[in-house]
Parts: sequence; structure tokens; C-alpha cells
Amino acid sequence: MWRRSASFILDDERRRTSNSPPMADNTTRAPFQNPDAISAYYQTRAAHHGVITSDWLAQAQAAVGGVSGEEHPDSSVAELGKEKTFNVIEEFNGWRKQPDLAEAVAAIRALAAVIRASEASTMMELEIELKKASDTLKSWDKTSISLTAGCDLFIRYVTRTSALEYEDFNSAKSRLLERAEKFGEISCKARKIIAMLSQDFIFDGCTILVHGLSRVVLEILKTAAQNNKLFRVLCTEGRPDGTGVLLSNELSKLDIPVKLLLDSAVAYSMDEVDMVFVGADGVVESGGIINMMGTYQIALVAHSMNKPVYVAAESYKFARLYPLDQKDMAPALRPIEFGVKIPVKVEVERSARDYTPPQYLTLLFTDLGVLSPSVVSDELIQLYL
Amino acid sequence: MPDVQSTVLEFVNKLRKRKIEGSQATAKCTVELLRSVISQQRVPHSNQASALIDAVKAVGEQLVAANPVELAVGNVVRRVLHIIREEDLSLATAAMAGLDLLDASDDDGEDDNCKGVGYSAMSAAVAAAAARSTLRPPSLQTLLEGTPESAAVPYTSSSGADSESKTADKSSITRKLKHDVIEGVNHLILEISGCHEQIAEQAIEHIHQNEVILTLGSSRTVLEFLCAAKEKKRSFRVFVAEGAPRYQGHLLAKELVARGLQTTVITDSAVFAMISRVNMVIIGAHAVMANGGVIGPVGVNMAALAAKKHAVPFVVLAGSHKLCPLYPHNPEVLLNELRSPSELLDFGEFSDCLDFGAGSGSPLLQVVNPTFDYVPPSLVSLFITDTGGHNPSYMYRLIADYYSADDLVM
Repeated sequence: MWRRSASFILDDERRRTSNSPPMADNTTRAPFQNPDAISAYYQTRAAHHGVITSDWLAQAQAAVGGVSGEEHPDSSVAELGKEKTFNVIEEFNGWRKQPDLAEAVAAIRALAAVIRASEASTMMELEIELKKASDTLKSWDKTSISLTAGCDLFIRYVTRTSALEYEDFNSAKSRLLERAEKFGEISCKARKIIAMLSQDFIFDGCTILVHGLSRVVLEILKTAAQNNKLFRVLCTEGRPDGTGVLLSNELSKLDIPVKLLLDSAVAYSMDEVDMVFVGADGVVESGGIINMMGTYQIALVAHSMNKPVYVAAESYKFARLYPLDQKDMAPALRPIEFGVKIPVKVEVERSARDYTPPQYLTLLFTDLGVLSPSVVSDELIQLYL
Repeated sequence: MPDVQSTVLEFVNKLRKRKIEGSQATAKCTVELLRSVISQQRVPHSNQASALIDAVKAVGEQLVAANPVELAVGNVVRRVLHIIREEDLSLATAAMAGLDLLDASDDDGEDDNCKGVGYSAMSAAVAAAAARSTLRPPSLQTLLEGTPESAAVPYTSSSGADSESKTADKSSITRKLKHDVIEGVNHLILEISGCHEQIAEQAIEHIHQNEVILTLGSSRTVLEFLCAAKEKKRSFRVFVAEGAPRYQGHLLAKELVARGLQTTVITDSAVFAMISRVNMVIIGAHAVMANGGVIGPVGVNMAALAAKKHAVPFVVLAGSHKLCPLYPHNPEVLLNELRSPSELLDFGEFSDCLDFGAGSGSPLLQVVNPTFDYVPPSLVSLFITDTGGHNPSYMYRLIADYYSADDLVM
């Protein structure tokens, strides 16, 4: 009944042409806000997925070399106030650049650096500092769910630990630091648990469709190959990130037969597929997932052809969000290159992610166990207790 | 001990030869066997819960291996393990509460002693909290804690303080654990025996006047369910699909007629034709999986699909011992049993086709006679268990209540 009338289209055009001048508005926004609304999270993912150049390698080496985090806190020593919070973001970006590090782990490492550099003498002070740092991180990149979840998780953990009344503030502080450093291991362990849980679902002779380059899904496939299971993988090209090519590189190293598909060829090939495996950027309260653009499409096709869709996600990706439709989340935009020049008047849909509702998902493999989508909201309540 | 071993072996044999029929009977025998294992088990003074758990696990593994398709065995073993862990935990928290009282009376001692005792009580609190969290599936808190430190030794940390009254308390605690566990197991046996009545009590809410009910094969739960509604003066009709090749539907039809219900017997192939005249499909399950999927007698998947097509509610009755915490990843093959072809074909007539001896390799005629069918959760409208009526997506909650996360892999 209420369709878009022609006046909407005219209004849009008018708005777009009038939008080009007010780009000099940056000064009015908070100084640490990310300009251009480009999602830093997806940019980093693209950087991870990008072609390996020599300076990228050098950067990666530098990042790995600073693993014990000694370089970064030195730069942030004795600076309080604004410059302190600025260093949290730098710190976080430094950690985030490592391709094998999960987003939440980077966030927690950054917060650990805040603790290390902090001069607070009581738990309350430390908590307040951490809260400020975490808020800064969250507002700097609103689009990353793991970042928000990692910050929330750590803050909650700090609050709970302080409640246990350690005799000595310093011992409490060192315990927090130790735990934060260990979180990286926990994240790795989570991936191993998920891989173990999903082994039974991969049978000999099956065809798996994979979308996006999730490190968890890669771990699952690696483990299945190590267990001498015979299966083949179809991977979507994954424009604009090119995840398909990277994934096929990795899988061919493991001697798993791989076939690359265009994103549009998914429905064409769906009848020979036995199951779909995707990762998730975030798992929302309804049991649906937020993942790379194209996941919703694939889930729809799979559902209509009665193929199971399995999601592999660590538990810290569970978020307190409830999107009602695709546009209901903070926009996460990415620059998309088409290889040729596009006329200025032509709009490009640059959103980097979509939301897949729970009715199209079959099961979620998490380190909390195998869950059906309806279980997620229950688990969320327990998680955030 | 050798006495228990021989009963275990006897039971394993019975399971392997499929001499025990029906999940309720199997569940009851298994629980009784485990009860005797527990009562015969000698427990050390410390860490007795783990001794009991190991003993039960050892026996449980043998039983599950004997008949992996009878999921009630594994369910019941896991229930018993959960009972042991719960009782252990409640005793630990009680002991800790008792410790606190003792500490309070201790405050006249030297500062060091007091602090040491206070610290051990606090660590016992941490350990008890950590132990409580191991019963629940892991949460974010435990994620950061890593493995709960010294969760298994609430007793030894309390024995760090050396007062004789405390050790006296401990020995009474050791006897108490076994006693509590056996009480819990007895309660479980009562629950299993009484599941039919509990389920039948709810019949009146679901069966209304002048309804037509369809069922398939024969299930005692369904029989009692329907009779309970009949006793409450509801008048309704029942269509019974005969459930080839065992034709147990015929037995059910006879029972229903004996209780005064209007019954119609139909073939399995007629289910789709009759489904449009039916108000509700009620079947009994062999097992219910963690995702809400149902393992039932062969033919129920067909009835479920027909019901979905015609928007007829598909109701599954299952006692709590049928709830399995595992997710089915290939249930048609792994959780199924193939029975003898003689139920389908007469060996006399088909002896030339089925003959393995003559000719080359395997015969051209193959007979597949599966016992069970898998119904995916999307086709089920309602589960009625002894705790009430539930959605298929709610099954995981019951499973979290009845089972511990550590016992899933046996």
C-alpha cells in the first residue's frame, strides 16, 4: 500500500547533491571520532585479507615483535588525561593489526595496557579509568561488535574480581594483568573447542559451502582434514574482500579440494551442497548473526533448499543487540572498487555487513557447546550475569 | 564388588541381545543397577564424589556400548552423574557454611592463625563458587578465570586448618554424600515410574470435545493419555495407523476399544489421505534430542510431514528419561537399528532371492527394515513431558536442568 513514491527519489537526489559541501564538519565532532564513517573494523579485516606486500610484512613483523606489549606502554608513560585515552586507541590499533589476533583479544590487551600504565591506587580508581578507556574505544569504532563485547567482558570481570576483596591492591592488579594476557590463549582454546564440537557434523564425502574468511571456520576445516575426513569445499568469491581466493589458498595447502564460486553462483550450486558453514562478526539476542555481506542471501537460499546452515562463533561475540531489520544497526561502510570509474551521481551500496535472522540458521557452534538459535538469548543472560 | 560386576555383565548381555524392550523398562533397570553400584562402592575420605563419578562412568560406558541406540541408558547414567555432582556441591556449600561458624568462634586465637583460617574459608568460598559454575555451562566469568582453580578440593583446603572438630565433621560428611546420592537416585526411580501418570494428567487440557486424534503404532504413554481424557468425560475418536511391519497399532486399537473409545484402524499409507479430517496427531517418542528432534517408531516422520502440510498440531509425549543431551548429526543412520527382514518378507517364498550362498557376492534383493524415524524439530508443535507442555526450542532448558556439561562425552 505504502510504496515509495517518486517524491522520495527526488528528495534523495536533492539531499545528495547538497551533501557534498558540508564535509568540513569534522571539527565539530569529537576529536577521536572516526571520520568518514568508514568502519575501521572492516577496513582492518580488508587489511588482513589484502595482498601481502613487503611493507605489510614489515608492519606485521613489527606488530608481532611487540607481543609482550613493552613498546606501547613506554610511549604512554606518565601521560594523563586526553593523551592517555588517545594511546588506548593507538594501542588497540597496534594489536588489531596482527592478522591472527581476534578483535576482542586486541581490545582486552589494550585495556591491560591501560592498567599497566595506570597510576591508580585503589580498585575504584582503576575501574573508573578502565571504564573511560573502554568507552573511548567503543565510541571510536561503533561498528565492531567483538570490540564492544570484549570491553564489556573485561570491565565486568574487573568489577567481579574487585568484589572478592584481595588483600593487596597490587596483587589484584597483577592478577588482572595476568588474566588479560591469558585471554589470548583462551580465545585460541575457544577455537579448538568449536572445531572439536563440529567434527561430528562433517561426514565423509560431504560438500561444504563457506562464505567469508572466518578463522574459526578455517580451524574447523583444518581439524577435519587432520582427522582424515574426505570432503570438498565450495567457497564464494567474497567481493569486495576477496575472501574466496585467500580461503582457497589456505585450503589447498591442506590438500582439501576447493572450488571457487561467484557470489551470484550460490543458488546455482546449492543443490550439490550438503551444509553451509559461516563465521560471525556478532551473534545477536534473537539468535541471528551479523556477518559479512552476502551471508543473509546464502542463508535464504540454503533454507529454501533445506540445507543446514551452521555458524561457528566464540561466546564473546554474543552481543546485547536486537536488530529488527537490515538497516537497524550502526552503518558499517567500506570503500568498494569496481576497477573502472563510476559516475559521481551513481550511488554504491557500501555496507559491509548484513543481519541473518535466526529462522534461517540451523545450529551455532560455540565454546559453550552446540546451540540452536533459540538458546542464544538464554545463554546471553547467563553470560552477562 | 564381584557381585556387582556379575550383575553388570548380566545386564550388559541383556542389552546387547535386546532382551529389554521399551525405554522406561531399560531406564528403570539401569538406575537400579547404578544404585547397587553406588551403594557397593567404597569411597575414600577425600574426593569421594570423583570416586563415585568414576565408578558410575565406568559402568555407564559399558552399558552405552552394549546398546548405543537405546538412548535412555545414556540419559539415565548422565542423570545419576548429575545427581552425584549436585549432592557433592550442596554438601560443600553446607560444609563451608559450617566452617564459617567455626571460624567465628575461633577469633580468640593468634592473628596468624585467624588470618590463615579466614583465608582458607575465603578460598573455599571461591572454590565452591567455582564448583557451582562447573555445573552450569561456562559463562564469561569462567572464560576469563580459565579452569576453576582447585575446584575439586574444597575439603582439603578446609583441612588445612588443624582442629579436631573439623575432621570429625568431615567423616560424617563422607557418609552423608553416599546417602544423599542414593536418596536422589531413589527419587529418580520414582520419577521414571511415575512419568505416565504425570503426562496423562495433562490430557484434559489438550483433548477437547468431539475431536479426532491420530496416532501411530503403540505407545503406553499415548494409551494412558487418551484414557485419562476419556475418564474426564471427553468424547473423541481415535485413528490408529497400524505401524507396519510390527502392526502394534492393532494392539493399541484393541486396548482403546476395551476402554470404550471409538477407534478406526488405518494403514500407514492412508495417513496422508486422512490427515485433513484429523484435529491433532499424538505420538509417543523413543527419544528426544537436544535440538528438539524426535526419534520415534518408523512412520512418524511421514505423519509429521503430513501434519505440517495440513497445519495439524503434532504433539509428542515423552517422559523425562527420554531427553537426550546430544545433538543428532546423522540420526537416520547412527541412531537407528535395522531389524530382521523376516518381518517384511517370508523367508520361505523369497529364499531364492535372499540366498547368500549361491551365485556371486551379495544378492540382488536387499531388505531394509529400520526401527526408528527422525522427526526434525521444525515439524513438532508441542512436547508434553512430566513437567508440562513445552516448545521444541525449549528442550535445551530441560536438558540444562537435568544434566551437567561435563558428562556429555562418555
